[in-house]
Amino acid sequence: MTPRWAVVPFVSYLLLIAMLPLLLPRFWERNRNKLMVAALASAPVGAYLLWMRDGGHALLVQTGCDYVSFIALLGALFTISGGIHLRGSLVGGPGVNLGFLAVGAVLGSLIGTTGASVLLIRPLLRANRHRRSVTHVVVFFIFIVSNGAGLLTPLGDPPLFLGFLRGVPFAWTLRLAAPWALVNGTLLAVFTLFDLYHQIRDEHDGHGAASRPLARAPVERLRLEGGWNLIWLAGLIAAIAALGGLGGRLFAADYQRALAQVLATSVFAALSLHKTPRSVREANHFGWAPMIEVATVFLGIFLTMAPALCFLEEQGASLGLTQPRQFFWASGALSSVLDNAPTYLTFASLARGVVEAGGIRLGPSGLGALSSHPTGQHLLAAVSCGAVFMGAMTYIGNGPNSVVKAIAEEHHVRMPTFFAYLAWAVAILIPIFVVVSHVFF
Amino acid sequence: MSSVTVGSGMVSEAHREGHPVITKILICLEGSPSGEAAVRVALAIARECEASVSGLAIVDEPDIRAGAMTGIGGSAYKQARDQTILAAARKQAASWLADFESRCSALGIPAQALEAEGRPLASILEQAQHHELTVIGRDANFRYLTHSEDGETREAVLHRAPRPILIVPESSPRGGLGRVVLIAYDGSGAARRAMLSFAGSGLARYRDVHIATVDEMGETAWKMAHRGQQILRDVGLDPTLHNLVAPRSNAEALFQLAKQIGAGLLVMGAFARSRVAELFSRSTTRGLLESSVVPLYLQH
Repeated sequence: MTPRWAVVPFVSYLLLIAMLPLLLPRFWERNRNKLMVAALASAPVGAYLLWMRDGGHALLVQTGCDYVSFIALLGALFTISGGIHLRGSLVGGPGVNLGFLAVGAVLGSLIGTTGASVLLIRPLLRANRHRRSVTHVVVFFIFIVSNGAGLLTPLGDPPLFLGFLRGVPFAWTLRLAAPWALVNGTLLAVFTLFDLYHQIRDEHDGHGAASRPLARAPVERLRLEGGWNLIWLAGLIAAIAALGGLGGRLFAADYQRALAQVLATSVFAALSLHKTPRSVREANHFGWAPMIEVATVFLGIFLTMAPALCFLEEQGASLGLTQPRQFFWASGALSSVLDNAPTYLTFASLARGVVEAGGIRLGPSGLGALSSHPTGQHLLAAVSCGAVFMGAMTYIGNGPNSVVKAIAEEHHVRMPTFFAYLAWAVAILIPIFVVVSHVFF
Repeated sequence: MSSVTVGSGMVSEAHREGHPVITKILICLEGSPSGEAAVRVALAIARECEASVSGLAIVDEPDIRAGAMTGIGGSAYKQARDQTILAAARKQAASWLADFESRCSALGIPAQALEAEGRPLASILEQAQHHELTVIGRDANFRYLTHSEDGETREAVLHRAPRPILIVPESSPRGGLGRVVLIAYDGSGAARRAMLSFAGSGLARYRDVHIATVDEMGETAWKMAHRGQQILRDVGLDPTLHNLVAPRSNAEALFQLAKQIGAGLLVMGAFARSRVAELFSRSTTRGLLESSVVPLYLQH
């Protein structure tokens, strides 16, 4: 049995990565310091797994394989999406903005919510630079493109890819199309009303497009640069899906499967780096610092999470969560304030524990059997929806949220404070989630 | 100690108490309409007093680079955002200073440009101690890149500045301070300091000075008004006395009187009551700050 204290490094580390950017911003700016914090938090866990737990070595190897696969995929998506640039400008208005958000709602599941966010946010801001108030556009962008969009495939959001790495079939998340459509469709409709209101108000106050020189600037046709990356992206998706389906049959050991995934993702990332002109990456302000940060912080998450997940699988049923609706709200609430990737795994492991407490043996640790069990699949669906959707509730619920905020502020958009944004999210998202909870869970 | 004749008397008393003639004016630059009015009024005063001016442009670097909760991977984007905004702020500050210097040069007023990087309050207070008068636009927002408004800085300056502050609303008349001055006296130490520093500044010269007190009780107001009048007579001014009985808002009563006599400048002590007292009833200073259409000469 995993001792309770084994959960402490995980919880502490999640709190540290949430609070250190606020409390010690200069310290947190350097990736070296992030690595130091990760190492300090992971040290007790490493010691426990190596010397105090039966099977700890195997768990450590599996964790290492999952980490390497995870970072390789994120790195490949980051590289490929960083090589795609939308050049040109449109004049932003309800129709154009709706188009951007709708495209983003689909793209998020293909290139990841971070990739879709970084690809679309700058052209969207350029299109709206003539408008008096753009805050609402960016807020809904975070709701839809940076979060809700990522539900349909494991590539969409890191929590879902973690689930895939742990055995959830690649196409499993497609069954979440109905909640995906409900949430994103509703948000697009509400956004259109907001945007129309702002446009009418601007026209009424004499700040409409007709009065603004920037809005009368020649419209430059939108064109895609770095289009080869779409080919590499398709190849990457095919490779990941194939390895997910066949990996268990082709490779006996976890490390062999992980190695194959790393090789496959590296090939497409290398092709993207080689074939994409430097000017495209410069136009995207591409740099490796964000990816290094992700790799560093997630190293600590993976290591500290390992015994915590074991604890939850063993003890999960005693925590009182048994119904899909409870899992939806609990995983969502935690995803709002902590990164949604570890939160997803936490509650997925809890769900395993709940199913096994009912006398069902799901087999070796992992989520594959859970995703095909009649009760387990509903719990997993609830956790997936909660973690992905409610990552939008705060700036720290999901990685791309604060990225989009920073890019918007660079473009002189006045973004809401942390609590003002939370107020937006509570007012707009919670009623939609209440409907989702009642309809699907 | 030198004496300066003002009106019919001497102001040696004001100087003895350390209230010098204005020779250096600090103008806090920041692009708002009231900030522009502040520059206009300050330059008019500088010409009247033959003073030099310093334009202070502030880059609020601590607020721009303040820590914020970020998601995983967001730290690098935040750093890029900080650098972009800082660069824009520096460029804007340089632009304000260049514009300020060229205006002063066109008017033949000696000027210096000061750029400060740091918290607006600390930057203003540091420079204010080297200038006899500091001029700020009423709606000035020194944290414009991170905050939609900044009443905090203005109030903190008024509470802590060692020397007089001139708050200028956007609606200030173009002719500077006009010919009529209304001094509001409530018996407080702040009001006394404001009156005496104004008397010694040289701004009372050739102006028609009025003094008013406001109270619910007529007799109290009358006694206070006489005391204030005597203080000003001791320093060579001969103000016209007004005694206002106002059961409700002091600020409104003063405002009405100012309109009635055509005052172009209001002089008063700033935030004379404690912050605790202000919790229980609205401050006159704050009321006037929000509603005055003429510059306010304030000292705490």
